Amino acid sequence: MGGAPTNGHAHGAEAVHRPTLEELKERKIRTRQRVHEGQETITVSMGPQHPSMHGVYQAVVDLDGEIIVRTRPGIGNLHRGVEKLAEQMTYHQFIPVTDRLDYVASFAMNHGYCEAVEKLMGVEVPRRARYIRTIAHELVRLANHILWLGVHIMDFGAQTFFLICFRDREYILDLFEMVCGARLTHSYARIGGVSKDLPEGWVGRCRSVVEFLPKRFDEYERLITANRIFNKRARNIGIFTSEDCNAWRITGPTLRSTGIARDLRKDEPYAAYDEVDFEVAVEYNSDVYDRFLVRMKEMRESCKIIRQCLDNLPDGPYLAHDAAHVLPLKKNVLRDSAAMIQDFMHVLRGPQVPKGEVYRAIEVPKGEMGVYIVSDGGPIPQRLHLSTPSFYHGQAVPPMFEGEMLADSVGIFGSIDVVLGDCDR
Amino acid sequence: MEARQETVEIPEALKVVFARLEEEFGGRLLGSSFFRGELTFTVPVEDYIAVLKYCRDTPDLAFERLDSLLGNHYPGRKEAPMEVVVHLTSVSKNTRLRLKVMLAEGQSLPTATGVWPSADWDERETWEMYGIQFDGHPNLIRLLTTEDFEGFPLRKDFPLQGTVGGRIRTDLKGKI
Repeated sequence: MGGAPTNGHAHGAEAVHRPTLEELKERKIRTRQRVHEGQETITVSMGPQHPSMHGVYQAVVDLDGEIIVRTRPGIGNLHRGVEKLAEQMTYHQFIPVTDRLDYVASFAMNHGYCEAVEKLMGVEVPRRARYIRTIAHELVRLANHILWLGVHIMDFGAQTFFLICFRDREYILDLFEMVCGARLTHSYARIGGVSKDLPEGWVGRCRSVVEFLPKRFDEYERLITANRIFNKRARNIGIFTSEDCNAWRITGPTLRSTGIARDLRKDEPYAAYDEVDFEVAVEYNSDVYDRFLVRMKEMRESCKIIRQCLDNLPDGPYLAHDAAHVLPLKKNVLRDSAAMIQDFMHVLRGPQVPKGEVYRAIEVPKGEMGVYIVSDGGPIPQRLHLSTPSFYHGQAVPPMFEGEMLADSVGIFGSIDVVLGDCDR
Repeated sequence: MEARQETVEIPEALKVVFARLEEEFGGRLLGSSFFRGELTFTVPVEDYIAVLKYCRDTPDLAFERLDSLLGNHYPGRKEAPMEVVVHLTSVSKNTRLRLKVMLAEGQSLPTATGVWPSADWDERETWEMYGIQFDGHPNLIRLLTTEDFEGFPLRKDFPLQGTVGGRIRTDLKGKI
């Protein structure tokens, strides 16, 4: 590539070659050095406090010259025992804890947890709440991808771009501040809906942000997509085929960069995703560059989804009327005795939950997050397990690094988008 | 109550899974349940790896991915208090399956890392949190907790505040 593209869709203009799995395997072998076990190596510890490691991830790498022979990952520096905590609090109380999992995309975590609990309880979420959740989830996806992009490009050596991305992320955080008062730890989803209705003037402001952001994405693409340095560095490194992805449970944009159109928003629709029209972003080369392209496409699709949701935003309640499972509206608690009793019952005793177990996975910005809940009929879960994408992505680092250059490892690690709060739980 | 996700009868894709597993393992499976659209099988320890391999390699089932592997502890169940729960996902068929293995205290389970390498950290986590041994695991050491951590924190009898440090002193009551 080279030369400035006329619009943002520089990639679509070329003839897209779709490599087969065999070709990709061949390419993977060709781009990586064969590592010889037993040779003399130098051990370098990257992290947990390394500027190029995103969060407190430690990678102890054995190097043969500049080639990575072996990687020993170390995680757990951010372990807070979330699953143990979950067994001590009611279903409502756990929502703020989920914020602290993937703190870059808190709402997505709230949402995933609430979807699982609703599935267990059999709560039907009102249509307006589902639309609001879809909007909020896509906003958080935008915020996550924008932040990821800035940091990822910084891994490749461009400092300024980081600040550009941070500036644009602010618009989305401001929207969240308007709607739930928090910029990072939203705790916005509730079992059966969302905590607050959209405030006055929010829809218009949100619309102007999603009209404006695609122009910014064009700008990003002008800066990066055809950038010669980025192309030379990001193409053909970190190739991870679809087979590898399945073996290592890699999901999300990384899986979609291997040509598999797996997106839970389409495959197991939740919230209002079955009522909006969007495309699953897929690329075919399975390398770091294509993961970037997938995320860029996804951001544009997110804007599209939000725009549709804003256009069709239904009226009605934003929280389900379900006294056994859902908290009452806060504004009614001090005015309506029934709502007050309901509030007391939920706070003191907790919701009424049937016996059983559910596993619900949703598509969070980083991949598929599954929540497994076992209920013994009490107000607190008997067991709650969160299979978060970053945990598995962090695990797949050794096979991804093997045979790559040390200088590329930073970019490869960035491309799979690991957040350590999500990984260590 | 009518729930959005509630389906009364088993969907077609899961019927195939059910039929194939029943046909292949027949009476050896310890039980199955269907709740909220999810199919669960309880598998004996001896057949655990065989079932996993069968689920992955049979074209009708095509469970390409291990979604999660986790432990659970039921202190009330005297003969088999430990449990390992495995979630499988088929990307091509868009189906999910849950497998359970019940274990006695101290009983070990063969490792699934040979079937799916992604089971590695899951098994390490399950071991450090519940003390369930996985035979043949290449590197069964503590993952999330520190190396010198003692006890298995997710067991129900493990106190929330931990066993070392940071505990509320109750022995000083009335003395100060």
